[in-house]
Amino acid sequence: MSKIAIISQPDQGVLIDVGGCASMQEAISHLSSTLQVSSQFWKGVNVALNLGDLELTSAQVAHILALAKGVGVYPYQVFAQRPLTRGALLENGVILGDGTPMTLPAMTIKVPENPEIEEDWEDESVNMSDDEPGVSIFYEPSENQLITDDVTEHQTEDQADQPDGPIDFEPKAPKAPKAAKTEKTPAPSEKKEEVKGPVQAGVMYLRQTLRSGQTVSHQGHMVIIGDVNPGAEVVAEGDITVWGALRGIARAGVGGNNDAEIRALRLQPIQIRIGDAFARSPDRNRLHYDVHNGPETARIVDGKIKVFKFSPQ
Amino acid sequence: MCLVDMDIGLRNLDILMGLENRVVYNLVDVVEERCKLRQALVKDKRMPNLSLLPAAQTRDKTAVNADQMKKLCEELKSMFDFVLVDSPAGIESGFQNAIAGAEEAIVITTPEMSAVRDADRIIGLLEAQKDQITQYRLVLNRLRPKMVANSDMMGVEDVLEILSVKLLGVVPEDEEIIISTNKGEPVSGTDNTRSGLAFRNIARRLRGEEVPFMDLDVKNDTWVTRIVNFFNPVRV
Repeated sequence: MSKIAIISQPDQGVLIDVGGCASMQEAISHLSSTLQVSSQFWKGVNVALNLGDLELTSAQVAHILALAKGVGVYPYQVFAQRPLTRGALLENGVILGDGTPMTLPAMTIKVPENPEIEEDWEDESVNMSDDEPGVSIFYEPSENQLITDDVTEHQTEDQADQPDGPIDFEPKAPKAPKAAKTEKTPAPSEKKEEVKGPVQAGVMYLRQTLRSGQTVSHQGHMVIIGDVNPGAEVVAEGDITVWGALRGIARAGVGGNNDAEIRALRLQPIQIRIGDAFARSPDRNRLHYDVHNGPETARIVDGKIKVFKFSPQ
Repeated sequence: MCLVDMDIGLRNLDILMGLENRVVYNLVDVVEERCKLRQALVKDKRMPNLSLLPAAQTRDKTAVNADQMKKLCEELKSMFDFVLVDSPAGIESGFQNAIAGAEEAIVITTPEMSAVRDADRIIGLLEAQKDQITQYRLVLNRLRPKMVANSDMMGVEDVLEILSVKLLGVVPEDEEIIISTNKGEPVSGTDNTRSGLAFRNIARRLRGEEVPFMDLDVKNDTWVTRIVNFFNPVRV
């Protein structure tokens, strides 16, 4: 289990969970590295804190609160299990949390079994037209096509939607506008209506480059202003939009939304998964990431992930 | 044959093998029972008998413990003839986890003072596990014969003098390594590189064959020997 987790849900704000830490020192070091994303970051966000099983004295609680205050975080409620900690919290004038803190919702993601991934070049990316003269001298239509695998023999595996955060867990930026919650998820197979794709928990907007080892997940759409480097992972129930280069792993439509799309200014991912479909990058010369095709969109067509030149519809 | 990348959080082996885009599950998923072991194994592109169990990239070394690794290695042992565990650098928990299921060890070092000192420390730790790890051998990596000839670098004998350990192989410094790692094609699969030959010799020695060590002495590297070697298909 991860040492620290950040969970966001519509209407409930954000919960910072340090229950996984073994000691006060660990909790503080993780908490401080998490909170100090930027001083503006937490402004106006409803933050709750879960101290889990930690046994803290009044002075230690005061220390944690001071740390939070330093970056503008004022937890509106704090969860704790130990009586000593609860007493210490009350001494510091903190509102104890009611009931149980929110937990991660279970999500199911289907992926094919590894050994069955086979060389299967997909050469039918329809709109990869290179007929525009002078678009780019680097333009090579074959370069960016993805290899999709047949998704008939999937095994369903439970996978937490929040792929347990790394310890340096800065980049969670859950913001959940309440208005977006009204739209409920239609079944993926339903016909498309005016609004494309389901919106479940609003949009998460992240202005940061995700580096190797960092993961972000969100229950709605996700917008990342920055790059997603190889080794980083983006998971969303809705669409994923990267205003930058997507070079890591992206999973859109987690939970079975096959209408989800992944788009990026430079779509050069290692793997992408949309809903039930899976695609990996071709084995290419990996030294030249500067060769790209401009903005592209990946979506499912006939059960397979295909890449198109981006065009607003 | 199975390769296990134990460098959790700094996953590399999949890149070197060019299997990065095929990784779906990883070692931590197996340990935490999110998937079956067989699902997490990535088959090599070139050699169907070779599989990789990739490390997790978004976790760290504390995600597994020694008992879990022992169990995992036992399971792999029943599936493969050889299980090669790539240990992370250092002597901390990552290293301890990596050796938890091991029966033999291969210590890899470069002929530099600091690296040899660290290798000595590692060998000391391995000796402390004598009951479990029955044998350990040394691979000397990135040796530059020319520098050794000029006494600018420790030679094979110098390193063995300090470490007093059985030698498994010597790999000469080779630009081809950079090319092959960039391509994601292990150098051991290339025919015409000295480092590739060195790695293949190591593999044969691991299988119990007696393979003579490559002659890396620069004094023997003259145009005459080059021509002789050119016509000699079995270069050693």
